[in-house]
Amino acid sequence: MSEEPRLSHERSLEHPIIWVGVIGATLGSIVLLDRVAWLALPLILAVVLYYLVQPFLVRLQHAGVLPNQALMIFLVLASFVCVVASLTVLPAMFNSLARFQSELPDTMQRLTKIASEFLQSVENRLPLAKRAGLASGMEARLDFFAQGKGTQFAGDAALFAFKWLPSLLLVPFLTFFFLRDAAAFHRLVMRAVPNAFFEKTLLLFDRMDRQMRAYFRGMFWLTMLDTVTLGLGLWLLGLGQNIFSFQHAMLLGLICAVFAWVPYVGTAVGGVIAVCVCALQAPHSPQLIMGVVFLFLGVRLLDEFLYTPMTVGRALHMHPLVTVMMIFAGGMLGGVYGLLLAMPLLGIFTVLGQMFGEIWFDPRLRARHSARNLLEKRLASNDLEI
Amino acid sequence: MKLWNFLRPPPLDPKLKVVGATAIFRDCSRQELEILKLYLHERHYLAGEIVFDEGEEGEGVYIVLSGKFVATRKGMLKRKKIGEILPGECFGEIALLEATPRLATVVAEESSVVLAMFRPELERLAEARPRLGFKLAMQVARLIAVRLRRMVEGTGESQVLS
Repeated sequence: MSEEPRLSHERSLEHPIIWVGVIGATLGSIVLLDRVAWLALPLILAVVLYYLVQPFLVRLQHAGVLPNQALMIFLVLASFVCVVASLTVLPAMFNSLARFQSELPDTMQRLTKIASEFLQSVENRLPLAKRAGLASGMEARLDFFAQGKGTQFAGDAALFAFKWLPSLLLVPFLTFFFLRDAAAFHRLVMRAVPNAFFEKTLLLFDRMDRQMRAYFRGMFWLTMLDTVTLGLGLWLLGLGQNIFSFQHAMLLGLICAVFAWVPYVGTAVGGVIAVCVCALQAPHSPQLIMGVVFLFLGVRLLDEFLYTPMTVGRALHMHPLVTVMMIFAGGMLGGVYGLLLAMPLLGIFTVLGQMFGEIWFDPRLRARHSARNLLEKRLASNDLEI
Repeated sequence: MKLWNFLRPPPLDPKLKVVGATAIFRDCSRQELEILKLYLHERHYLAGEIVFDEGEEGEGVYIVLSGKFVATRKGMLKRKKIGEILPGECFGEIALLEATPRLATVVAEESSVVLAMFRPELERLAEARPRLGFKLAMQVARLIAVRLRRMVEGTGESQVLS
């Protein structure tokens, strides 16, 4: 008898229905999660924390500590860090915030002056910009914000924080239960899987877990690459005018790289922060500001077309084109939420699609499952003497 | 006396006793068996149900708690029985080393209960507890070496699984 060929992982992905399903499920989930964002956000943050903390627990287990003891050690350490932070870092942070608030009008005035001077110089060079009233338009907008009407934004921000605070308070609780019960939950789910699909389903869980780890590892390397590129760029740009020390440039690079976790919007916010810092440090250097703008645009392009496909995309074994298209589609459907979630969700649904293909297109597995159902029926019939 | 009983550890789970008696897990301490328990999946099979079939990619090992299984291989004309697997014995252990095709089809001959252990989970456990991982890997290697020797010595396929 000849050996029948089996469907490999790669072959199961070739089916167009699977790919359409994977993309559809990813986009559908983005829309759904956007609708239930209040609940989805703490869940997502708890999953991220789970993957960040779990390696530490595994390291403790390497040292011979039992899983429950490892969790307790982590909780004690985390509580200690929280107490120390609330006693030392938080007061300093609040002091800085208070100082920032008191200096804000002056800083805003300086920034407005710098921006209008810069735009005036642009208008003097470009008649098109003068006709568009670039400087006067910008001045009016900044005045609107600085002269009190902008306080409504502060109110909106406070309401936003008030709305999300209870949701965020769920994060530590969810993370604790994920860390404590993930294994038990996994076993509970496995009990419900029919025998014929048991091994394949275990494989599915394992691959999903690896995919998530790979995504977070990819994100870590992406942040490092962004930090180094932005930090070095800012340091080199400010070198002639002695604006940044190397450490300060790297710190600003790191802050901007963390903002860049939210694709597009995050980079823009990071760019604005860097431009403001440069404008305040060297107000009479429009070339420097233009240099910073071009640096951020360049890093944005590098992110989209080189770094993300190289790190996150490679970690998830995806084609760069698919990676870029899914980020755009996620942004269109779910805004910031969609931009953030497009890649991890695509990774999860790709694995689910692969496994579904492997099970669904394997006639032997389905035959085994049908045989089990027949055996159950026969057993029940014999018991009932039908 | 009562205080002494309180200090004594609770009796070992009977399922873990069976696991601890199998060839692969023989060297495991009580604490290691308790950790292994987290990674063992209990499965129930009806008489006549296939556990895995020949050529399928193997992902884990099975330890028989109760019941009886029969291992068969494809022959020239019909399936050839190569052995019976009884409580306290394990099968499919090669899958703990790598995802190779199963060498035989295993079918439950009567209603049976097994504990299954999955290779990627074992790998993760071995990363967390290298000592335990080493013990298990050595036992699997020894078991396979014994079976290989029997095969080379011509003991016959039917004896290989016992």
